[in-house]
Amino acid sequence: MIESWQNQIKAAAAKGEKLTIHGSGSKSFLAPQGQGEVLDTRAHAGIVEYDPKELVIVVRCGTAIADVEKAMAAADQMLAFEPPHFGEHATMGGMVASSLSGPRRPYSGAVRDFVLGCKVIDGKGDHLSFGGKVMKNVAGFDVSRLLTGSLGTLGVITEVSFKCLPLPKAQQTRAFEMDAQSAIVAMNRWYAEANPVTATTWVNGKLYVRLAGAEPAVNSAVARLGGEALSDDVDWWRDWREQSHAFFGGDGPLIRVSCKSTAQWGDLANGADMQAIDWGGAQRWLRTASIALPAIREWARAEGGHASVFRGATSQAERSESLQPALSEVSQKIKASFDPYNVFPSLS
Amino acid sequence: MLTFERPTETAVAATVNSLRASYGDRTVTTHAVREHHSHGEGMQDSALPDVVVFPETNEEIASILKLCNQARIPVIAYGTGTSLEGHLKALYGGVCLDLSRMTKVLEINPEDLDCRVQAGVTREQLNADIRHTGLFFPIDPGANASIGGMSATRASGTNAVRYGTMRENVLGLTVITPDGRIIKTGTRARKSSAGYDLTRLYIGSEGTLGIITEIQLKLYGVPERISAAVCQFGDLHGAVNTVIMAMQLGIPMARIELLDDMQMQACIKYSKLEGLEPKPTLFMEFHGTDAYVSEQIEQMKSITADHGGSDYRFADKPEDRSKLWKARHDVYWAGMSFVPGKQCFATDTCVPISRLADCITEAKRIADASGLICMIVGHVGDGNFHVQITFDPNNADEHQRADDAASRIALVAIEMGGTCTGEHGIGIHKLDALKVEHGEGVDVMRTIKQALDPHNIMNPGKTIPMQ
Ligand SMILES: Cc1cc2nc3c(=O)[nH]c(=O)nc-3n(C[C@H](O)[C@H](O)[C@H](O)COP(=O)(O)OP(=O)(O)OC[C@H]3O[C@@H](n4cnc5c(N)ncnc54)[C@H](O)[C@@H]3O)c2cc1C
Repeated sequence: MIESWQNQIKAAAAKGEKLTIHGSGSKSFLAPQGQGEVLDTRAHAGIVEYDPKELVIVVRCGTAIADVEKAMAAADQMLAFEPPHFGEHATMGGMVASSLSGPRRPYSGAVRDFVLGCKVIDGKGDHLSFGGKVMKNVAGFDVSRLLTGSLGTLGVITEVSFKCLPLPKAQQTRAFEMDAQSAIVAMNRWYAEANPVTATTWVNGKLYVRLAGAEPAVNSAVARLGGEALSDDVDWWRDWREQSHAFFGGDGPLIRVSCKSTAQWGDLANGADMQAIDWGGAQRWLRTASIALPAIREWARAEGGHASVFRGATSQAERSESLQPALSEVSQKIKASFDPYNVFPSLS
Repeated sequence: MLTFERPTETAVAATVNSLRASYGDRTVTTHAVREHHSHGEGMQDSALPDVVVFPETNEEIASILKLCNQARIPVIAYGTGTSLEGHLKALYGGVCLDLSRMTKVLEINPEDLDCRVQAGVTREQLNADIRHTGLFFPIDPGANASIGGMSATRASGTNAVRYGTMRENVLGLTVITPDGRIIKTGTRARKSSAGYDLTRLYIGSEGTLGIITEIQLKLYGVPERISAAVCQFGDLHGAVNTVIMAMQLGIPMARIELLDDMQMQACIKYSKLEGLEPKPTLFMEFHGTDAYVSEQIEQMKSITADHGGSDYRFADKPEDRSKLWKARHDVYWAGMSFVPGKQCFATDTCVPISRLADCITEAKRIADASGLICMIVGHVGDGNFHVQITFDPNNADEHQRADDAASRIALVAIEMGGTCTGEHGIGIHKLDALKVEHGEGVDVMRTIKQALDPHNIMNPGKTIPMQ
C-alpha cells in the first residue's frame, strides 16, 4: 500500500496535481473540501504492535479508533486523551491529523502528548520515520508533534505509536446544581487542590465532575466535594465527547472558544442555555443561530484566547482566525519543507 | 546540505562595533568572558565566540538578530551553560547572546495554574518566586538551568515520570526569528485550522531556529503529602525489574531513580549519605493525598519485597527530602570527583520500558569491557538512564575507549527501539547517532532548518548534521 501511495504522490507532484487525504470522513467538517484524487487511508489498517507491557501501541493510519480502544480496554489500558470519534469508523490517522482531544484533555494531556512517533509520506513521496516508542526523545526536531494537527497538509501519516496508560481502577461522576460563574471557580479550585479530577463540564445549570484513579483517592475526593452521583456516567461522558448530548442538537453553528480557564462568564450567546463550559473552563461552547462571531472573538482575545466556528462554518475565515503574518510565514515554510510541489491541501 | 563559513574579521569587527554602539558595556570581548561562554558541561571541548552580549528585551534581541542575519554572523544563545553535548561551542565564532539579564517572572496566574517567565529565569528562581502561591514547577534537571535553556533542550528531570518534560509543560513561547521578527506561539494563541504546533518545534531546537525569550509554563499544586523513600537491592536486576513492574501496574510514582553500586559509592562519598551501602538503589517519591500516598507506598513495598529490596528508609521531612534529591542531582559531580584527575561524561539512552533490563545489562557489559570506571544512574521510570564514564582526558587511549563505549551504548539503545538521547540533546556529539536513528527523516529536519534560518546563523553546526 505504502508503495502505491508513494507512486500516486510522485505522479501528482510530477503533473502538478493535488491529492486529498481521507479516512472515514468523520472530521471533514474541520477543513474545506479538498481537491484532486482521494487517497483513502482506510486501505492501510491494523494494529502493528501491541504488547501491553510495553505501554506502547503502534497502529496504521486506517485503523478504526474503536478497534484500538477495544484492544486496549481488553488489556485494561486506554488512550488517555479520550479522543472524540465523531463517527463509527473514525480512523487513528484522522484523529492525529485533526488533533482533537476529549474531556480528559486538561488533566491527562492532548493527542500530541501521547504521540511517541510517526511515519509519514511527504510531498515528494518519501516514506520517513520520526520518533519511536520511547517516552522521552530529544533527538532532533520534534517532527511527530508537527504532524499532529497538520490536517493532511504535510503528508500522509501512515503509522503512529502512542503511549498507553492503565485504565483507572475506580471512577465516579458527581453533579452539582450551580450557576456558570460558581462552576468556573469550582472547576479550577478542585483541580488545583489535587483531587483526581479527569473531566469537568458545566451545561444546563449543572456542573459535572468526573473523578477517577485509585479507589481510596476517588472515595476521599467524593467525600470532600459532595454533590450527587451521576448513575450512567460512562454513557454521559461518551455523549458529551461525541457531541451527541442534547446541547449540541439543532442546526445553528457551534462555536468553540478557547480561553483562560478562569475567564469570567460572559453573556455572549442568546441566553445561558446556549453556552457550555468544558475543560476546567478553558474551552467554551456557544450555540447560536444569530452568530456574532466578531464580538465573540473580541471577548476571547481579551481572555487570552480565540474563537472559531467548529461546526457549520460557511467560510474558512469563520473556521480559523487569521494568523500573525510572521507566524503564518513560518507555517508556510514548514508546509513547503514537507510538500514542495503543493500536492496536499494548502494551508488555510 | 547546510553550509557555513566563518565570517571575515572585518565583518566581525563591524558587528562588534555596532553592538557596542547600541549596548555599551553589555557588549563584552574580554577573553575571560568569552572563554566562560565557549563551552557547557560534560566533555571538555570549547571554541570562543567573538563577543558576548547581554540583551534585556525582546526588541534588543530582534535587532541583534537582524544585524547578524544581514552580516551572516553566527548567534548562539546562552542560558546557564549547563548543557552537556557541546551545544555552546562557538564552532564559527560569532555572537553569544547571554540571557542572564532576562530574569523577570512576567505573570503568575495561580488560578489558571500557569505563569509566564523570561528565558533567563532559572528553575530554582521560579520555584522560589511562586512558593507563596502553593504551586510548584516540577521540571528539575540536575543543574539549576534557565527556563529558556531547558525549553531549547526539551529538558526533563526526576519528576518527568509523573509530570512530563518541557514538551508537556510549556504552553506557549515568544520566539525571535533569525530575521528579527517576534512571534508568539501557544495553545491559546490563534492558529490556522491546520495548526502546526510551532511551540513543540522550537522546544528542543537547541537555539538553531530562533531565540526563545518568553515561556508560558504549567504549574502544579503542591501535593497534600510528599513522601520520599530509599530502597536498596542485592543486585541490579532486582532494582530494574521493580521499576518495570511499577510502571506496568501504573503506580503514579512522582520520582523513581536508579543508582548502581558504583554510583552509590561515589554519592555516599560526595554527598555524605549516611546509613546507605554501595548497592543498587532506588530513590523514590510519592505525591498525593494522605490516603493515596499510603496506598502507593504499600503497593511499592510489595513489589520491592518480591525483588529482594530492603526495608524503606523514609525521608518525609522537607530538609531530609532536599538532602536526598540534592544527592541525586549531584551525581554528575560525585562521578567527576570519584577518581581524582579523571573526567566524566554521560550517555543518555532511553528505551521502551520493557527493554530497560536488557539495555542496562548490555550497557553494563560494554562499560565493564571498556576497562574504565563507569556508573549507572537514571530516570528509569521513563526508560532513560545514563552511564557515566570516567576517563583521563590526557590519555588518548582512555579517551578513545570512553568514546567507543558511549557510541556502542547509543547504538544498542537504538537497536532496541530506543533513542541515543532522552534528555541531553544532540549538540555536536550525537550528530552521527541522529542519522542512524532517523535516517532520511534528518533530511526533512534539515529542510526545515534551511527554510526557517536560510543563512544558517542560528547556532550553526548543531542539532542537525550539515550533510
Ligand atoms: C549536573 C548536571 C545535571 C543535569 N541533569 C539533567 C537532567 O536531569 N535532565 C536534563 O534534561 N538535562 C540535564 N542536564 C543538562 C542541562 O542542565 C540541560 O540541558 C539544561 O536544559 C540546559 O539549560 P541551560 O540554561 O544551562 O542552557 P545552555 O547550556 O546555556 O544552552 C543549551 C542549548 O540551548 C540553547 N539555548 C539556551 N537558551 C536559549 C534560548 N533562550 N533560546 C534559544 N536557545 C537557547 C543554547 O544555544 C544551547 O544550544 C544536566 C547538566 C548538568 C551539568
